[in-house]
This record gives sequence, structure tokens and C-alpha cells, in this order.
Amino acid sequence: MSNQTTTSPWKTLTALPENIWHSIFRNPLPISDLGRASTTFTNFFLHVHPVKVHRHSLRATYTWGLGLIAFFLFFILSVSGVLLMFYYVPSTTQAYDRMLDLRGTVAFGIFLRNMHRWAAHGMVAVVFLHLCRVFLTGAYKPPREFNWVLGVGLFLLTLFASFTGYLLPWDQLAFWAITVGTSIAGYAPVFGKEIRFLLLGDSNVGQEALLRFYVLHVAVLPIIMSILIAVHFWRIRKDGGLSRPPEEDDFLPEAVSRTTAEPASGPSAAVTAQPAAHAEAGESARIYGIQGLVKGPITKAGNIPDRSVFSWPNLFMAELVVFLVTVAGVLLVSVFFNAPLEEPVNMLHPPNPAKAPWYFLGLQEMVSYSAFWGGVGIPSIEVLLLLLLPYVDRKLGGVGRWFSRERLLANSLFITFAIINLGLIIIGTFFRGPNWEFVSPW
Amino acid sequence: MLKKKPSPEDQAEPLTRRKVLSWLSGFSLCGSAIITVFSNFTFITPRATYGQPNRFSVGRPEDYPPGARIALEAQRICMVREGNQMAAISTTCTHLGCIVASSETGFSCPCHGSRYDQDGNVTAGPAPKHLPWYRLTLAPNGELEVDKDTEIEVGTYFKV
Repeated sequence: MSNQTTTSPWKTLTALPENIWHSIFRNPLPISDLGRASTTFTNFFLHVHPVKVHRHSLRATYTWGLGLIAFFLFFILSVSGVLLMFYYVPSTTQAYDRMLDLRGTVAFGIFLRNMHRWAAHGMVAVVFLHLCRVFLTGAYKPPREFNWVLGVGLFLLTLFASFTGYLLPWDQLAFWAITVGTSIAGYAPVFGKEIRFLLLGDSNVGQEALLRFYVLHVAVLPIIMSILIAVHFWRIRKDGGLSRPPEEDDFLPEAVSRTTAEPASGPSAAVTAQPAAHAEAGESARIYGIQGLVKGPITKAGNIPDRSVFSWPNLFMAELVVFLVTVAGVLLVSVFFNAPLEEPVNMLHPPNPAKAPWYFLGLQEMVSYSAFWGGVGIPSIEVLLLLLLPYVDRKLGGVGRWFSRERLLANSLFITFAIINLGLIIIGTFFRGPNWEFVSPW
Repeated sequence: MLKKKPSPEDQAEPLTRRKVLSWLSGFSLCGSAIITVFSNFTFITPRATYGQPNRFSVGRPEDYPPGARIALEAQRICMVREGNQMAAISTTCTHLGCIVASSETGFSCPCHGSRYDQDGNVTAGPAPKHLPWYRLTLAPNGELEVDKDTEIEVGTYFKV
């Protein structure tokens, strides 16, 4: 660039910090729209976001930030989990002692364990709430069917990751919860016994099971989940951003794939480089873009109002706030409540009652009526229904609004199912005492 | 050579070398994937377990006086002797794998309230089947051997 003769060593030295800075960050802090755009798409960590995002996606009362909270909890769990791995040993003779060491000798040991435990419980709850949000706003409708399926997969993986982690402290709670939990798996038809044997590596919960659960918990499941989360996020972009109610002047992504335009259905379909006459606006409005290739926010010209805002700073600030609130919440809970640690494992004396982790207590409650139907039959049907939902419910409409009137039936069914499951969990958690007999918590 | 006019079927599906080869390679790729998954599952299925053995000695018949019902907690069985008949009944609840305790009427499970009679038949609770009876044999050294891999019918006693 500059003339070689003018470059003195001194100048090189004084320019060093600036040169290093600019080699890392391509853009100064943005002050123009061009800067805002290029900051978003030239930064590796930001480029998963679109340059502009629809205002509706930023409304806290639409998403409640649940997907983000779940992701940030996953992040907190990964960090605290790796730190805990520095001290943990997956051995029946050492695991419990290491728990005591975390409590007694390791600096911040008890605090990290609290964070990990409470974030794990929180993630199960938040992922479930996220699923409820997506259902109740009809966000699984085309073109987002497959992302819903990925989400259900992530929900199941979250449960499994939490379940495998439950055994690791090797205390009475862990041992008997996993004994009960894996016995439920044993009721699966055809391969039930084999699945249980494969999971435990033995006929009973013991050293092999501890090692297997550890490997699943710290390597297999987090890797699968990371990949699925990446695809889940990527699909949000490719499916046209977050779901939102259709607008008057909306450019329907579905319309692009249809070569025959349907002028009656409100906004007319535009084919690439072919400006569409906009009947409803009264005036002629033009839509430009490569809509045939890219779904989502598009450049609009003419009198069509642009309801999107730049991701920098609007979206990033919102995400930062959600992250800070999530971290603050986990920290706060971890300061005030210690993760439970019971007596060391005694394989001869189950506690009475022996309870599975709370999110499986609904299952355990059903299992106390019928082992097969409660433990395998009904849960499988529920999961199957969730997976098939977007392919069964093909009715468009009612997308992007909470409790839409058009979706009254679907929403009522879902809420009924959710309440039944939650009710069973509450009964199993609070109303079941010794011998699984009905007790009053008061 | 006389050029035959291709029939409509021939026109629709001409079987080219390219098509056969891609079909074959697709088939072998899928096959390899299936074999890979299968062998990985075979790998993680243990051939030897490191926990408690399923065949073990429980002492001499004389150690159990007639009328005795002695629970061997670590082995998760209950040794029963009536007269000169003996049996080994599992104490692992068939419901969800908790350990059943001996009660006056037989066995009862603390986890979900399943109850069994003296022979291990279900009398109450969610347990789906009776407590298994295991085969007893007399080893050459005069000790009783329990084989937890072999279940026998309820009420099949071993004569000592």
C-alpha cells in the first residue's frame, strides 16, 4: 500500500496495536447501516444471524426468549461440566468421595456443582416450555415442519443427557433413580431387555453402568446435541426466520415455489426479476430480490413498509440481555440452594419410596398402574404424536399468534395433554410416600 | 442391422451401464453403513460382565434348616427350604428392579407397593409377573449352586 521508503521501524511499532486490532476485527464499531450490516455478516460468531430481523421476532412476549435460554443453559452446562470433569472419576469406589471433595476441598467446587445441577433441571424445564411456545403459536407449520422434528429430538436428548448425569454422584438417589429408570426401559417391546443390558453393560446398575453413563453424558450426547442445535439454528434462517403472522404485503415464501401465481390469495407471487403488481396496496409496489433462492426478510421498495430492523444492535442486545438474565438466574439459585447429595450407594437397601428424577415421575406414576402402558406404551405414543404433528396438522393459518382462535382445537388438546403430564409429575413428586402410597404433602 | 423401434417401456427406463453402476455403488454404501452400525453395537455389547457372576455357590444344604427362608441380600435371592425340598427365589421386584423385603405373607416391594405370596406369585400392586425361581444344582463338592440365567417354573423344588 504505502511507499516502502516511508515505513520506518518506529511507525511500524506505533501502528502495531491498531494493525493487530484491524486484522482481527474487520469493521469499526458500526455507525452506519452499511457498517451494521457488514459487522453482522463478517463476524464468525454473529454471521449465524441475518443482517436484518423482523420486529416481530424481537417481541419478548412472543418467544419469551425460551429457545435462547435453553441454548445458554446448554452453554453453561458445557462449561461447568468440563470444569467438573477435572475432578470427577467415574468409579464406584471414588465417585462419591469426589462429590465430598467438591463440597469440602475444591475451590468453588460446591458452587460449580450447584450451577451444573440447577442449570440441568432448568434446561429440561425451559426446553419443555419452548416446545409449548412453538406449539401454542403454531410455529411448526410449513415450512418449519422439520425444525419441529429436530426440536422434539433435542427435547428427548435433553432428558437423556439429564438422566445419564443423574447417576454420576453415585449416591442413593442416583443409584435407585437409575435402577427404576432403566427398568422402565426394560419394558420396551422386543428389544427392551437388550436395550437395558446395552445401557447398563451388566444385568444390574454397577461399575459398567457408571462408566457407560459417564461416556454418554460427557461425550456422546453433548456432541450429538451440539450438531442438532447447529442444524436447528440454521433451519430457523433457512425457513425464513422466526414464525410470525402473515402481513398484508407479505411475500409468501410458499408462493415462490408455486409457478402459477394466485392473484386471489392476497399478495401476488413474484418470480425473480419480475416485479409484481400489488393490487391491495392500491398503488403499484415492486418487490426485488432473489426470492426464488432465499426465504426471509427481503428488500422491499416502493410503499411497502419495512418492518425489519438491523440485527446490530437490536437483536444482539436482546440476546445479550437474555444471556445475562440466564447466567444471573443460575448464579442466584446456586448461591442459595445446594445440589442434593444423599448417603453413598447401598445396593441392598432401596430408599422407600425409590423415585426416578422428577421429569420421569409422571412416567413412574403411570408405571405404578401398568408397567408396560405407563412406562413404554403411552410415552411412545406421545413422542410419536409430537414427531408426526406437523405432518398430520396440515391446516395453515393461526401462525405467529399465541392461542390463535383458528387453532382452538389443537391448542386445547395440547394444553390438556400438557396439564395431564404435569399433574402426574406433581402427584409422583409430592403425593407419593412409602410403598408408593398416597400421602399428603402438608 | 435393423433398428427396432423402442417400445414405450424401453423409452421410459433404458438400463444404462451408468445406472447399474450407481445402483450397485449406492447399494454397497448402504450395506457398509449398516454393517458399521451393526458392528459398533456388537462392540458395545459386553461379552463378559465384570459385576456379580450369575452362577454362584450358596453353601451346603445343611446350612439351611427345614422351614428356613433366608434372604441372601448381595445375591438378591431368597433360599427356601421345606423339608427336604429347596428353592432359590429372586428378590428383585419384577416391576422396576427394587429389592423386595420378606413379609409375613411373602414378599413386599418398598418402591411401588407390589406384594407377593410365599412362592413369589403376585398378590397386589403393579408387578407384571411372579418372582423368578432359579435352577439349583448340587456341585460335586457338595455345595448348592444357583444359576440365575436359568429360570424354572414356580413350585419346582430341588430335592436334597
